[in-house]
Amino acid sequence: MAVCSTTTLSIGGSVFSGQLRHWEPNESKLFQKPRSRFRCLCLNDLHLLRFRTKTLNFNPRGSLLPSLYAYGKEADDAFLSKVNEDTDEMFDDLMKKYGEVVFRKNDRKSPSAELDDDAESLSFAVEMAKVASDVKAADIRVLFVKPLVYWTRFFIIATAFSRPQIDAIGSRIRDLAEKKYGKVPSGDAKPNSWTLLDFGDVVVHIFLPQQRAFYNLEEFYGNATLIELPSETQPPFHT
Amino acid sequence: MIQPQTHLNVADNSGARELMCIRVIGASNRRYAHIGDVIVAVIKEAVPNTPLERSEVIRAVIVRTRKELKRDNGMIIRYDDNAAVVIDQEGNPKGTRIFGAIARELRQLNFTKIVSLAPEVL
Repeated sequence: MAVCSTTTLSIGGSVFSGQLRHWEPNESKLFQKPRSRFRCLCLNDLHLLRFRTKTLNFNPRGSLLPSLYAYGKEADDAFLSKVNEDTDEMFDDLMKKYGEVVFRKNDRKSPSAELDDDAESLSFAVEMAKVASDVKAADIRVLFVKPLVYWTRFFIIATAFSRPQIDAIGSRIRDLAEKKYGKVPSGDAKPNSWTLLDFGDVVVHIFLPQQRAFYNLEEFYGNATLIELPSETQPPFHT
Repeated sequence: MIQPQTHLNVADNSGARELMCIRVIGASNRRYAHIGDVIVAVIKEAVPNTPLERSEVIRAVIVRTRKELKRDNGMIIRYDDNAAVVIDQEGNPKGTRIFGAIARELRQLNFTKIVSLAPEVL
């Protein structure tokens, strides 16, 4: 299924137009549902130009590129001189010429720093999962969801069998995170049938069994990498 | 800018199709609700044979508005429709999946559950 959303931006007075598109082959469960038509416009300045091109002819690498922007001084000049012409063709040409140029914000981290952050979040997530298993949470899954969603890196999904147990797991995780890592979660303060603790890079979901089956987050994030937990290889009970 | 009598689409699979706002939750006499605000709404149209029925009063979180949403960095987001997600009293969504793009402001407003069910976050 190909999904196309159009975004037009202009930044800092210079015209900057691009198309934000997602080309999702069938494997992504995240985007399986047919979406109702929506359009979202982002504009920053007086320059606003919206354009649409054909969906599939464009991604030069055929890969899952989140966004591609044509950007540059020459792109601007060409853009301004040909405003009256057919914009679709013009932008097709520009994309062919400058399609490989990817616009980056200055606050983007270097790949090594990203890896460091990933490792840090991973150790945090594994530690949290361990704490949850100490309080006898069942079926703990740690998912690496960063390739699927930009807003977090890891999901921890766990089942608890009663609200007091949810409370126990939540408060243990909160205590450890605050003591050891200095992180305070947002999310549910009271135990809930789906309790969510949001640590930024790590999001902890604690479900009652019924809710876990109902929302079925694992299936929704089915393409995420499952992280092996060291404690799961051992038998849980020593008799 | 959602106010009482505004009709909204439903952006989840809870079974409701169309809502009408009857109250904005917040301060007394609060006039308008924007993205991330909770409203009390009545179901005007529902899918047959689902738990939610027509004329039921529910709570909902607004996830898309035609009125522009401004961000601090100057970005403005405007959607084509007004849409809401049905929630229960505890804040859990009644549906299991969200449709369409939603704004990341919902996460800051403690609706991370809705964000984690959404296919696309702007």
